[in-house]
Amino acid sequence: MITLRALTKRFGETTAVDELTVDIGPGRVTGFLGPNGAGKSTTMRLILGLDRPTGGQALIGGQPYRKLRRPLHEIGALLDARTLHPARSGRAHLSAMAASNGIPDRRVEEVLATVGLDDRAAAKPARALSLGMGQRLGIAGALLGDPPVLMFDEPVNGLDPDGVRWIRQLSRSLAAEGRTVLISSHLMSEMQQTADWLVVLGQGRLIADAPTAQVIAGSGLAVRVRSPRPTELAALADRLTAAGAVVESGGTGELTVTGSTVERVGELAYELGVPLHELASHEASLERAFMALTADHVEYPAGTGGASA
Amino acid sequence: MTTIRAEWTKLRTVRATWWTVLAAVVLMAATAGQLAIYVANGNTNDDPSDDAGVVPLGSVLIDSLELVQYAVLALGLLMITSEFTTGTIRTTLQCTPSRGRVLLAKAAVAAAVTFVLGLLLGAVGALVASLVLGEWGAAPVAGTLRDVVALATYLALIGVLALGLGAVLRSAVLTLTVLLAVLMIVPLSLREPDITALHRIADAFPGEAGQHLLAGDGQPYPPAVGLLLLAGWAAVALLGGRAALRRRDA
Repeated sequence: MITLRALTKRFGETTAVDELTVDIGPGRVTGFLGPNGAGKSTTMRLILGLDRPTGGQALIGGQPYRKLRRPLHEIGALLDARTLHPARSGRAHLSAMAASNGIPDRRVEEVLATVGLDDRAAAKPARALSLGMGQRLGIAGALLGDPPVLMFDEPVNGLDPDGVRWIRQLSRSLAAEGRTVLISSHLMSEMQQTADWLVVLGQGRLIADAPTAQVIAGSGLAVRVRSPRPTELAALADRLTAAGAVVESGGTGELTVTGSTVERVGELAYELGVPLHELASHEASLERAFMALTADHVEYPAGTGGASA
Repeated sequence: MTTIRAEWTKLRTVRATWWTVLAAVVLMAATAGQLAIYVANGNTNDDPSDDAGVVPLGSVLIDSLELVQYAVLALGLLMITSEFTTGTIRTTLQCTPSRGRVLLAKAAVAAAVTFVLGLLLGAVGALVASLVLGEWGAAPVAGTLRDVVALATYLALIGVLALGLGAVLRSAVLTLTVLLAVLMIVPLSLREPDITALHRIADAFPGEAGQHLLAGDGQPYPPAVGLLLLAGWAAVALLGGRAALRRRDA
């Protein structure tokens, strides 16, 4: 269980995390979503006591991280993979981590086997590891103390499709064992398949804290519009945006609209004289739900006509 | 104890550690050899039995240290500055959230390693110097032993000083520069104008305290005071390092 209470972190003028209050519960995979710069990594560093909060607190099993004596038994975390000494082997890295928490060396061999790093890879200096192997090593470190809480920051970064599938299965089985699993990602499609619950962050503030299915449903249906006349289509997009809908451009002559209805889009198109080749409603994806949720919270919008992922 | 074991594991599993040890040993052999040659050549007396011109091995060792100490200092400061450059400090603090414990464990390992290395350097230097000096070298067992132990103690304490300073400054180059200033440049400059007050201040610097500990003379204070002064410097550096680790984001 991770408990955040009015957690706040400011760097000078910018507020990275803003009065964040949320509980990350056990027995499920919680996806931690948000656009770049939303404060996901900062929140994770605050949970681990690496950064000092400006206000509020982060608790693991009711305790602040800096008070934990053997933290690897309480929470295992994978931050960015570049926390390795380039000249030290993966096995030595894990061995030092294990020693610090009184974990026997045989556990190092166990977690190496769990993440699929063989003897040859474990003996290599960290500089010779691929990004994917570095991620596996980081996860091995998180698993060392067999902790009830796990936290992975962008774990699928740099992994091949096999690795991505492996992370998904690992996260699910860890949650099935009753552990708390928190995974940050900007890959909405990945979260849709992995996370049971979503915590969505925008500009450091909590935007959503609900089951994945509910977040998707809450965004309503998406409407797809196709037209051979880009100029008129752009005018339609502007009118829809002005009316409060979220419009996403899906290539030339194509729009995806959320926060509106097929009827409303059709009427507007008629009004503006836009010839339509397609007007259809689609079940919303997490991707779109996410965009609808964070539309107001993107630090640097990717131009007009909707943000791209 | 677990933290100490972790720090020792980290130190010994990086090849740079052993290169530094090797560099210190080679440097000691070369410097002691060269200083011994100067002593032997500079000697105008041709009868060793009348005692003029005979040098105790310990004095050659102590003079060699002026250069060799920087290789040993590198060992202490790299234990912390390399954590900042590689980002491993985040893993370290994740494993051991108490900043004080981390730094104390590092200090224990740094002191133990530099002390043992100091004994080794003393032995190597004494061997080389005695070979070169021949009958012009004096090696009273108790005196030489005392010099070697004092040398190892001095290295252990400035090793810890380097570690604490590294935790505050985070950069290896910056730390080494400040160490050079504190150990040599500042006290030397203070002695330049012949003002008693400045001499007293210079006496309190760690390099000077070390010299008095090593030389075993009574002026201006006995070796025990030199030892205490050095230990004080190391302790202050560690406290500063702990404060910096606690306050700053990793």
